[in-house]
Amino acid sequence: MRRWRFVARRLVVLVASLLVASLVIFAALYLAPGTPLAALSGGQPLPPASVQVLEQRYHLNQSFPAQYWYWLENALHGNLGVSITLRENVSTLIASRIWTTAGLVLYASLIIVVLGIGLGVVSGLRPGPFDGGVLVVTAVCAAIPAFVAAIALIIVFAVKLGWFPALGNGTGFLDNVRHFTLPAVSLATASLAIVARVTRASVRQEADREHVQTAVSRGIPARQVIRRHILRNAAVPITTITGITTASLIAVAAVVEVAFSLNGLGAYLVQAAETKDIAVVQGISLLLVTAFVVVNLLTDLICAVLDPRLALTDSPR
Amino acid sequence: MVALGVEMDHRHTRAAVAAIVTAGTMAVAACSGSSNGSASPPGPASPGPGLAAVTPAGTRPVSSVVWATSRDVISLDPIFSAGYPEYTTDSLMCESLLRQAPDGSLQPGLATVSNPSPTTLVFTLRPGVTFWDGHPVTSADVVYSLDRAADPKLGGYYSGRLDRIASVTATSPTQVTVKLTQPDYWLEGELASMPGLIIEKSFAEKEGKNYGTPAGSIMCTGAYMLKSWTPGVGVVMVRNPHYWNPSVHPLVGQITIKGVPEITSLTAGLLTGAIQGVYGVGLPTLDQLEHSGAVRVYLGPGWSSDMLEIASFKGVLGNLNVRRALSMALNRQGIIDSVYQGAAQLPRWLSNPGTFGYGMSVFTQAYDGSPVLTQNIAEARKLVQQAGDTGKTITFGTTSQQAVYAGDTAAYQAAAEAIGLKVALKSVPAQDYIDFFISPQARAGIDAFPAVDYGDYADPAALLAAFELPGGSVNYDNSDDPQIVAALEQARGTANPNQRAALVAKAEKLTVQQMLWIPDVEPDTVLVLGKGLTGALSSTAYLFSPWADQLGGTG
Repeated sequence: MRRWRFVARRLVVLVASLLVASLVIFAALYLAPGTPLAALSGGQPLPPASVQVLEQRYHLNQSFPAQYWYWLENALHGNLGVSITLRENVSTLIASRIWTTAGLVLYASLIIVVLGIGLGVVSGLRPGPFDGGVLVVTAVCAAIPAFVAAIALIIVFAVKLGWFPALGNGTGFLDNVRHFTLPAVSLATASLAIVARVTRASVRQEADREHVQTAVSRGIPARQVIRRHILRNAAVPITTITGITTASLIAVAAVVEVAFSLNGLGAYLVQAAETKDIAVVQGISLLLVTAFVVVNLLTDLICAVLDPRLALTDSPR
Repeated sequence: MVALGVEMDHRHTRAAVAAIVTAGTMAVAACSGSSNGSASPPGPASPGPGLAAVTPAGTRPVSSVVWATSRDVISLDPIFSAGYPEYTTDSLMCESLLRQAPDGSLQPGLATVSNPSPTTLVFTLRPGVTFWDGHPVTSADVVYSLDRAADPKLGGYYSGRLDRIASVTATSPTQVTVKLTQPDYWLEGELASMPGLIIEKSFAEKEGKNYGTPAGSIMCTGAYMLKSWTPGVGVVMVRNPHYWNPSVHPLVGQITIKGVPEITSLTAGLLTGAIQGVYGVGLPTLDQLEHSGAVRVYLGPGWSSDMLEIASFKGVLGNLNVRRALSMALNRQGIIDSVYQGAAQLPRWLSNPGTFGYGMSVFTQAYDGSPVLTQNIAEARKLVQQAGDTGKTITFGTTSQQAVYAGDTAAYQAAAEAIGLKVALKSVPAQDYIDFFISPQARAGIDAFPAVDYGDYADPAALLAAFELPGGSVNYDNSDDPQIVAALEQARGTANPNQRAALVAKAEKLTVQQMLWIPDVEPDTVLVLGKGLTGALSSTAYLFSPWADQLGGTG
């Protein structure tokens, strides 16, 4: 019961965040210099008659509150508006790109979970040269921004070795995986390093605790000690950091999508913001805010399942 | 009256381009630093040696080609098409009443034209031309297409260019008569570009406002037909098996036009073969591509001009001697080497000699008789001193995110400082640069800014008219030189091509004397073709006429 109340409360917060975000983003784009019509004409000075027609068509000649209200009213009726640049429904444009971003973030999350947590656990349990190596490599990786990783991966694995394609989405599942591998790796690199380091630290901390030492001295098999006493207790901080980094991937994906010319939401958001295509920016931003909140909510719920002692509150952990 | 495509390829890869721009800036500064006032080596004769408008025709079929543009296509409707990506795509699928040949000369397209009187044009449709759906092209389709382009209520971009048209009438099923309010010999050039593209009336009426959007489709006559358009993925075209022109046999089965804004992505795509071709404007990785062996780079005649556009004559640039001095101090060879990697020519006029699409002998003779603009810092400094303007400040509008504009600005900064002027920069993000062209507020406080402009057909007048005629779309400070205006207006009403060329040449010479805008360099058309491909057009005509008719595999 308490859990459902928590979820309900979070959903109310989500709706409030969406409203505030929509207003702030709309205002920011409204205030930014330039007009969407400039991008529309490829920078050509338009005849005044065309400008008049186009401003009227897209309500650009109205006041800020009127424009925002017009957008909000439509959005509440499930109509996210029309892209000024492409003259196409925003929901259609988003739908055609959503799987690129979702696939990329999922692929990267998978890499982070498997490799990040795996490396962290192994190096946490086995102090020595391997652990030292992981520490050094993750320290370097954590400092590599995604766009640098992207350029390096393109140069080495696409241009020099030719193992993976340099750009595009590909067609069909296997081809998609091949095309998404370099982007997912560049997206995952920094987060993977952080997750590995946090995992390693938590495992190390749990392994040194008294109940673990007691279990070992009582002759309980090592496998059981690791699973039941170390990993179970280390799971909460690991889940938390994995959740946070995964949520942040949603935002960073834009950089990687641009670098690899993927038709994802992030790359489209950048393009739409540059051309002041306000309905598109609104639609994508709100979707990303929702995804971010939902991933965090899921993380909290998983943590609560892992450790029932954790109270589900909205106060920061 | 001719609005210009003022859009540069906005490819800005944060780190990579920043590094390249820095390097270019230093190179330009270094070159001008070492200059001791000696003249640069004499420039090439028009229109530049070794610049061919076509590449050797392909001989082998190729199943599919991926072609890059600087950004995604945003419309396939000709009246809403106004940039390199749209032009590159439209010109493969849709055809205009008249056609621009690779050298820029006008030829019959879907129709032939005659002039029974200076204010009457009669277009006679070529027999046997059909749309992709098999319907014949009729005079009703032509009237519909032209009326659509000329109607300001539709919000299209070209109504202003057709402002001398009084009426368009179908005088027979295969004949269309256009009546003008006054003679306009620039109109044929317009009708060989976007406003002259012919679309199918019944189809466009059925599609309504969806025509040419991702939700709708288009119906044209070209050798390639639209297969699909997914924003973010690309425009896919397939060969038209029933193309009306039996002498054209395209070799490529499918062409995908894909927007690739990132330089690193584009370069990697070309190097790995994921992208097989691109028309590159100011491509900073040109050198790397040229030496890779993975692609072949062709340089062809260009129609665009890299210039310093004067935003205001009220400041220090109001003095002709200062404008001349600034031009004289500019290290143009430095710009060619570091910004264009050699793919540009030293100027004699403002317009690129690649735009001599008619009256060729008249233009060439006049052009070759004009001096190449060379560097002479000592003389330039004297001019500034005589003007009493030493120590005054010039404010340049610029952006650091666009390699060509950043490089041009660095060269001008070095030039101005070398002749005793102070420089202030007003830098804006790349995507806001276009505001300089369209917004007086954005130009407030700015004396000048670099720009690359081109007209939509091969006529130097297309560029000059836009900033030298009263009411011109980029005539920022109401420049109104009586001699230049008279020459251009007279040219517009002159039927004889050679006489028209002589008038335009006169306007060009006066423009350089008056330095109303300052020519920087004349960029070549840069064509990058993947290994094993050949046959694409290598002049700027690719923007307005089918550039892939002869594209195919090498023997």
